[in-house]
Amino acid sequence: MVITSSVNLPSEEELTVPELNVSTSALRAGAFHLGKHCEDIQNEFLLCRSELDDPRGCINEGKAVTGCAINFFQKVKKSCYEEFMQYATCLDRSSGDMAFNRCRKTQQVFDGCVKDNLGIDRPDFGYFTEARIHKSNRPAPPKPERKVYPDATPGLPDDAPRPAAKYGSRFHWLE
Amino acid sequence: MSTVAGDLAKKQDLPPPGGYKKIPFARIPQKSYMSGFQMFAAYITATGIGMGVYYLTAKEIRQEQIEMRSARNVIQPILLAERDREFLKQLSRNRKEEEDLMKNVEGWKVGTWYGEPIYKTEPEDKLITPILKEFYVHASYDDYYNASTLKLWS
Repeated sequence: MVITSSVNLPSEEELTVPELNVSTSALRAGAFHLGKHCEDIQNEFLLCRSELDDPRGCINEGKAVTGCAINFFQKVKKSCYEEFMQYATCLDRSSGDMAFNRCRKTQQVFDGCVKDNLGIDRPDFGYFTEARIHKSNRPAPPKPERKVYPDATPGLPDDAPRPAAKYGSRFHWLE
Repeated sequence: MSTVAGDLAKKQDLPPPGGYKKIPFARIPQKSYMSGFQMFAAYITATGIGMGVYYLTAKEIRQEQIEMRSARNVIQPILLAERDREFLKQLSRNRKEEEDLMKNVEGWKVGTWYGEPIYKTEPEDKLITPILKEFYVHASYDDYYNASTLKLWS
């Protein structure tokens, strides 16, 4: 394997947190409100992940994402369990890819319940596909320095003579 | 000879009274239901209605796709966070397994070929994702088979 003993890997305890133990239909059913509830945390994690391109650097951000998701589903379970299960079951059984368009009625009931109890509006259907700017407190990783080669070919000096092209320009019709 | 047979023999084959029907040799043009203008009008109308319905349906499908992508974008970081943790745990386990397996081999260093690293220009602490076969090298073949079916064929 390519992992040598000089590669730092986090220990098992550092990586063990309670995981989100729900099925796809539940994730899909709660996705929009969950995204709104955990928007900042998720954006922070994804920014970190894409900036560093290294799972080791974003362990804490990832834990925050999972914790936020667990927190959201616990809240939903406390206040809107019936409506949520109805909606998730509808998504699960109505189509093969758990499409949203088959379950608008149960979705409306669930949306109303979440709005009343948790105060989260369902965002617009394309809200999470839009690009937006995320403000982060984490310092950005340093940019790779430009390499300087000692034996690179030296360029012309600035005061070198630059006569007109001997046989005219390639773009003669523009000049 | 009997009289009946004599009468039959005498009967001649003659045209029916009033003569034969005339042979229709003139061209009979097919009945036309529409004029050319009407045909063009019908074509344009049908195409126009079809394009309108197509536009509405395509718009609806596009919206559904965007909605699905939106939901998946929310779920993705959750799954990625969980996957990262499990991935790092498994890398530790693999490294430990290799240490145990090769502890009696003299000069063996984990992740290298007797101390010769695979990537020489990379920094030492860089985490390089192993290929699938290396990642599953200490697992059973069934596990590797399932993972490769999922990952390499899809």
